Parts: sequence; C-alpha cells; structure tokens
Amino acid sequence: MILTIIVIVVLIFAWLPLAVIFMVGVAIALPLGVGTAVYLGEYTRETRLTRALRFGTDCLAGIPSIIFGLFGFIFFVVMLKMGWCLLSGGLTLAIMVLPTIIRTSEEAIRSVPNAYREVSFSLGATRWETVLKVVLPNALPGIVTGVMLAIGRSIGETAAVIFTAGSSLRMPNSMFDSVRTMSVHFYILACEGISDEKAYATAAVLIISVLLVNLAAYGMMHHFISRRAR
Amino acid sequence: MKSQPPIKISVHDFHVFHEQEESLRGISIEVKANRILGIIGPAGAGKTTFLRALNRLNDLAPDMHVEGRVLLDGQDIYHPSFDVVPLRKRVGMLFALPVALPMSIFENVVYGPRLSGVRNRARLNEIVERSLTSAFLWDEVKDRLQMSGLRLSGGQQQRLCLARVLAMEEMEVILLDEPCSGLDPISTAKIEEALTILKARYTIILVTNNTKQAARVADETAFFLSGEMVEYGDTEQIFTVPRDVRTSDYVTGRFG
Repeated sequence: MILTIIVIVVLIFAWLPLAVIFMVGVAIALPLGVGTAVYLGEYTRETRLTRALRFGTDCLAGIPSIIFGLFGFIFFVVMLKMGWCLLSGGLTLAIMVLPTIIRTSEEAIRSVPNAYREVSFSLGATRWETVLKVVLPNALPGIVTGVMLAIGRSIGETAAVIFTAGSSLRMPNSMFDSVRTMSVHFYILACEGISDEKAYATAAVLIISVLLVNLAAYGMMHHFISRRAR
Repeated sequence: MKSQPPIKISVHDFHVFHEQEESLRGISIEVKANRILGIIGPAGAGKTTFLRALNRLNDLAPDMHVEGRVLLDGQDIYHPSFDVVPLRKRVGMLFALPVALPMSIFENVVYGPRLSGVRNRARLNEIVERSLTSAFLWDEVKDRLQMSGLRLSGGQQQRLCLARVLAMEEMEVILLDEPCSGLDPISTAKIEEALTILKARYTIILVTNNTKQAARVADETAFFLSGEMVEYGDTEQIFTVPRDVRTSDYVTGRFG
C-alpha cells in the first residue's frame, strides 16, 4: 500500500515536468505544423517560395538538438528574459519538432485522393470546408504518426532541454519555474557519477513512459479509424 | 407549334485554354430547362472540359483560362463578381468514376445540405430518404445507413453520388460525366430511369461515350469533335438525319 503511494508520487515527480514540457511543445508545434502543411498542400501552387520552405524544413529536421538548445538558450532564456523554465523548454522543443510535423502532415495531406476534393468542391464546399471535412480527417493517421515521432523525439530530448528548462530538482509551481526532465536527470546522475543505479532506474522509467505514450496514441488512432470506417 | 421551354444555360463563343493548348474552340449552345442534353464525341473532344466549365471545376486546374461567356439564368458565371460556391450548389456534378466520400452513407448524402447549414436531425433524415429514393438506392441501403459508403458496389456508389447531388435543395442543373462508363447494365438502367424522371425538376447534361445511351435518354444531342461542336439538334434528328457528314460517320460507328 505504502509502496504503491510512493511509486505513484515518484512517477508524478518524474512525469510532470516531462509531460508539461512536451505538451507545451506539441500544443504549439501541432497547429503551426499542420497549418503550414495545409498551406503548402492546399492553398498554394508549386512556386519558388514553397520549394524554399520545403527545403528549409528538411534542413531544420536534420539539425542536431544541441543547436536548438543553444538557440533556445540565447533567444528565449536570454533575449526574451524568460530564464530557465518550462515554457522556454517547451517552446524550444516546439521549434525542434516542427519540421517533422510539417513534413509528415504534408505527406499525409498529399496522399488524400484528389477525387475527394473535387467531389467536395462540386457540392459547393469552400476550400476551408473541404480541408476541414474531407482532407484533414483522411490525413489524420499520417498526422498522428508525425506527432508520435515528434513526441518520441521530445520525450527523450536532453540537449535542447538542459539549456532552456534548466535542471532544478523542485516541483514546478508555474510555467516560469525551472524543472528537470527525466532525461536530464539521467544525464546529470550518470555524468557526474552520483548514482549509477538511480540513473538506470530513471532510464527504465523513461523508456516505459515512451512505450506507454506510444501505445496510447496508437490505440487512439485505431479508435478514430475504426469509428470512421464503420 | 409546340411551346419552347426556357433557356437554362446559354454559352456564347466559349474557349478554354490549358497553358497554350486550346481545348475548346468557340462553343455556342443553348441548353433548355428540364431537358436532357446528351453530349457525344470521341475521346479528347472536349466534352468533359465543357462539362467541368459549367460549374467552374476547371478553376482548380492550374494554368487554365477561359474566354467567352456562360450564362446561367442570364447571369455570367465567369464574371469576377459571381461567387463560385453558390454556383456549385446550383449546378451539381456526377463524375465518371463513382467517388463515395470515406464516411457513412448517411453522411455522404447530407454532405451538401450540412454545408448549407441544415442541422435539424428530422430534416436530414427526410432529405436522406427522399434523395436515396429518387436515386433508386433507398431500398438497398435503408437498413445500413451508418455503413461506410466505400463498402457499396460501384453501381450503388454511383447512385449514392447521384443522391448526394439530389440532396441539395438549391440544385437546378445536374452535369453527368460518363456516369455509367464503369457500371453494369442493370445499374446503368437504374441511373437512366432516374434521369428521365428527374428531368421534370432539373436540367440535365449527360456526357457519354456510349452513343446508344444518348439515343435512349437525351432529348437533344450535341456532337463534339476536337474541341468544336459539330452539330446540335433534337436527338432523333442527330441519329437519323444528321446534317454534317462527320456526325453521321460517328453515330453510325464509322469512326471514333
């Protein structure tokens, strides 16, 4: 009984900073990324600008996370004077996962058959109504996959977070408190030789968390798909 | 002398260009209300381009522009101030390949009405029953309206598409682009039967590769060849005493 309570408390301590950071990240990156993908896929023709945008996102997707961490440190922490906090970390993660979300969403939107769009237009739908009622629902599995990749990347992220969210061990009270995510905790424990056992325990919790998040997301996706296909 | 029905759509010297290529070279035609106009001609004659121009679906293609005028009830549909969204609610289209949207049969039918803001459940139910009945599909699907439209057969899907067009209350003109090209004879017969009944309420333009189909259902027939309209007249006249030798060659099956 007491053991269960301890486990739950520990898990909450482990989970909360992580969950808040990647929720902030995804909450910002998802609308922005899907919006960009809709713009690229539905509202523009292929021009030099769209090609440049696409090339840019591809380049951004390949940049190591430490660079994003340093950028977040200079921009959010120092320039915007936000300090090391949850919000800086979340915003940095958002920038980091944005390219992945844009590209996977765009692929998903592109794979929606054109015939569906034509039918929707021929029934008097505007472009926006077509996007909302036909394109996005059919692109949903692809978009979810992109978000999964993004979440997977941000849960395990260390370098981008350590410079922006800091490494405070306290429980955060607001978005402007510094926190320590599990991966940062692992890094510090292992790197400074504090406790190898606790470092690997953290790693285990982290890996199981990733697994659970993935399972939940796939379950949700299948639920959506089977509801539509009935 | 029998009284002439009013003119629904009138097309004046209408050209369509795709990039540099001229797909339609000056079509002029008057489509009478509550009649079925059949458009026949070999592949690449511009039949589909013409049809898609009438509800401005060609707008979606890049590098396309048009010249000339298309008047629907006297209004120029290519005028810059003419809103294309209400136009498409008045002029519906059935495509060559049946495309059921990946949603339930019910949702497929009410797609248009929902866009027009119909929310009342009883009203939607009534629209679904009326449209599916007019499209001769009600009896086959009435017990499984929540099933995905994609699980219907091709012929059923095409009738579902017809029902989807009929569900829109603003609808006045129905454009059909070879609607029976992939269908079996029984489904074809059902569609044709539906059309002959529907013309009491709608103006129908039927593009078909099957000249016999035009002969069966069309009141008037136009013959298109390489972007031009060769001949236009009563179906009976086109098929029995065509004025142009190219028309007679085509309808007798000597080419095309």
